[in-house]
Amino acid sequence: MLAHFKRHIVEKGLIFWTSVLLFIGLVILFSASKGVLVRESIFLKQCLWLIIATVLCVFIKRIDYRDFQQIAPLLYFIIILLLTAVLFIGQGGASRWIRLGIFNLQPSEFAKLVTVITLAAYLAEKDIKRFPVLLVTLFIVGIPFLLVLKQPNLGTAFIFIVIFFAIIYQAGATKGQIITLFLMGVFSSPFMWFIMKPYQRERILTFLNPMRDPLGKGYNLIQSIITIGSGGFFGKGFLRGTQTKLAFLPEYHTDFIFCAFAEEFGFIGVVVLLGIYFMFFKCIAEVIYYTRERFAKLLATGILAIFIAHVVINTGMTMGLFPVVGIPLPFISYGGSSLLVSLISVVLVVNIKENTIMF
Amino acid sequence: MWQKKVEVKMEGEKRLFINLTKVFFAVIILRCFYLQIIRYPYYRNLSLRNCIRTIDTGIPRGVIYDRNMRPLAQDAPALHLVFVPYDLENPEKEAEILSGIISMDKQEILRRFKKRYANPFDRVYIKRRLTKEEVSLIEENMPVLPGVFVQEGLIREYKLGKDTCHILGYTGEISDEQLSLLKDKGYQMGDFIGQEGIEKVYDDYLRGIPGGIQVEVDALGHQRKVMGKKDPSPGNNVVLTIDQTIQEIVSQELGDRRGCVVVMDPRNGQILAMVSRPGFDADNIEEYLNREGHPFLNRAIKGMYSPGSVFKIITETAALETGVIEEYDRVECTGEMEVGDRVFHCWKEGGHGWVDINLALPYSCNIFFGTIGMKLGVAKMLEFASMFGLGSPTGIDLPGEKAGYLPDKREIDPLNLSIGQGPILVTPIQLLSLISTVANGGNIWKPYLVKEIVAPDGKKIKEFTPELKKMVYVSEKTMEILKRGLKNVVMFGTGSRARIDKIEVAGKTGTVQRGSEELELGTHGFFVCYAPADSPKIAMVVFLDSASSGEAAGIAGSALKRILIPEVSDETHSETEELENAGTF
Repeated sequence: MLAHFKRHIVEKGLIFWTSVLLFIGLVILFSASKGVLVRESIFLKQCLWLIIATVLCVFIKRIDYRDFQQIAPLLYFIIILLLTAVLFIGQGGASRWIRLGIFNLQPSEFAKLVTVITLAAYLAEKDIKRFPVLLVTLFIVGIPFLLVLKQPNLGTAFIFIVIFFAIIYQAGATKGQIITLFLMGVFSSPFMWFIMKPYQRERILTFLNPMRDPLGKGYNLIQSIITIGSGGFFGKGFLRGTQTKLAFLPEYHTDFIFCAFAEEFGFIGVVVLLGIYFMFFKCIAEVIYYTRERFAKLLATGILAIFIAHVVINTGMTMGLFPVVGIPLPFISYGGSSLLVSLISVVLVVNIKENTIMF
Repeated sequence: MWQKKVEVKMEGEKRLFINLTKVFFAVIILRCFYLQIIRYPYYRNLSLRNCIRTIDTGIPRGVIYDRNMRPLAQDAPALHLVFVPYDLENPEKEAEILSGIISMDKQEILRRFKKRYANPFDRVYIKRRLTKEEVSLIEENMPVLPGVFVQEGLIREYKLGKDTCHILGYTGEISDEQLSLLKDKGYQMGDFIGQEGIEKVYDDYLRGIPGGIQVEVDALGHQRKVMGKKDPSPGNNVVLTIDQTIQEIVSQELGDRRGCVVVMDPRNGQILAMVSRPGFDADNIEEYLNREGHPFLNRAIKGMYSPGSVFKIITETAALETGVIEEYDRVECTGEMEVGDRVFHCWKEGGHGWVDINLALPYSCNIFFGTIGMKLGVAKMLEFASMFGLGSPTGIDLPGEKAGYLPDKREIDPLNLSIGQGPILVTPIQLLSLISTVANGGNIWKPYLVKEIVAPDGKKIKEFTPELKKMVYVSEKTMEILKRGLKNVVMFGTGSRARIDKIEVAGKTGTVQRGSEELELGTHGFFVCYAPADSPKIAMVVFLDSASSGEAAGIAGSALKRILIPEVSDETHSETEELENAGTF
């Protein structure tokens, strides 16, 4: 009986762990919505997003993931169009959103997944060891990378770099290729530095060291570290967080939601949460390992890389291990675009898994 | 079908991503262990007392200089009274104490204390620029005023005070509407931005980048440890075309009379001085809001008045150019003239007798100009008026310039128009532009106030060069007659009070009834002039609300004397000194 239950969990692992993460997300968002700055409508809006995303995913699940290989160029074209459009009609100081009725669409969130699909579709039939293939691969990542950089959204741009290396590694790029590309990136950055305008340099410097701007990002970081630290071993308890409620952290329901979690559930909570993420990653890694189709393998790899990068960068930045960037915590941060893309990614992996004969 | 061609990694790859994740997660958990367990007491303490505060150290604005780099507006250190809503303990009592120290109503202080603030830890201003006595009294009462602080900051200082208030404008806290418009440019709530004049137009350049410090405070809110600091960087400096000396001279000459004086270089459109009265005190804006006399109105560019006899310059040019009249054609002025069933008067009772254009302009004879005006017709005169730029803004780089008003040809009769009466309105700056155009022989330069914008390190960011708006083509003969007439206005005509030794001045007076004649509201007086008459370096307009044009000419004369003959002002200065010395004996 227990064994049967265990097997069931493992088989449905991906969906199980996703549900757990979504539940934790709603719990902590509910707590955060009791604060001074964020209204309860945030919690309700997220619930609505979750319903919409779930319904959409039921439909997407019916699509054979192989079809995505066919329509990849179309998706890619649309997303490049949207990324270009957002530069002109975007909302807010850093233009990232497109307004759609009551919701704001954030094309850069979708761009990550679409780039992964496109890369996987292209490399499924090409040998990455050939130089022209590598060049085309660079272009596929390079265009959305530059458009996102222009917004400017340094965090998402960085994710594109992670995606690129993860996929070419999985596609079988040689060590020499990977090291050369890496070194090229490192050595071209000083050159970029010289053609940048002073205010752009200032932005980069603040990005690398938030304490240069103690009133803006530095303020966030100090408050974020105090919030996490004040959680202690057991945390202050559900709904008992004080730091996050008092408007110390302007973005504690989006990019800094991990702070709210760490404050209320403490060190224990953090270990458990990371454990759940780890189980979730393992499920995807299993799929990558067992699937024999190259497209599926590359697609799942890209998706895994996105998830790992998001979790590591997001939690890392709240505790001062990584520059502060606009990267959400998957399934937990408030935000419809991010939630939708994360769920679609999970559905794609589930589809791959169901089409794979386990042995 | 596809897997044959390329080798697919099978072994080993399963582990890579998972192993990387393990490393990253280990680091994150270690960091959390450090923050949440080892450093827990420290952070718990910080969070319990909510003792991190942000203090903004102000945004230093750029300096506004005159053309010789003498500062007209600059920031100076000042002490402000601020409070942190969260740190207040007994608002009632604290307001009571404060109202006894600073001249502010207790209820007003309480209102600010109790307002709901988005962030209860941000400092809010109660009063800017405290006096020394206020500071020492507050410092003494510090123990009973938790949450109230004296904070170092900046205040804008205007060296010439009211004399430059309309040019420079003032700065004030950003309003909600302004904020919603400028948010994308990085403006924030509580920012000070230019609200009028140069401060407003060039705010983008003058504004610096805000600085601030983040501090840890103790239970009373006093600073204990600086956790982060960002030095502000000052804004760019604006160099004006204004000459401080000339600005001071015309301000003194205008005195407290209601009106305005503008001085311009007719060779390029650079404004050398501009003063309008009454003015306001940039430090006490509220106090002036309801004062009578419209202290915020820059009469030079926003005041609209009938040009009166100054318009005769246009009537004369139009008449000579169209050949309606020759130089020596004469008209008899008997003091009045019947037109239809109306009687049209000259300002001089008994009339000027037989006059030609060479006498009519200096004497400003209404009958003469009325006669040629009827011959010209309204349309022709309006055509020349708009050719000289009346009816449209001059384009000066100050906000809110008015266009004046050129009537439709059915709205006005030729008699009134020819002498600048009736529903025709001009701004003083337009008349200045008109007289400059005559002075330089037909070039309409765009008047401007800002010469260049310079970065704090002295690098030139932007330079403004004279801009020729258009050229007016008038025959040399007409120009010569007109200029001779204008000289004679000062030599022996209506503007003789502007006559000065050594230097020849050319000008034209204009007197306008305020309202209808029956109301007896008195007159507006205009005087436009340029000097030296043969190689003009200076053009000036003097406008006086409720005074005669003769008085305006007098002001222009003594100002010109001091501007063009610098030794004159020195001489009078030393004379008074001698007298004072004599008096002490």
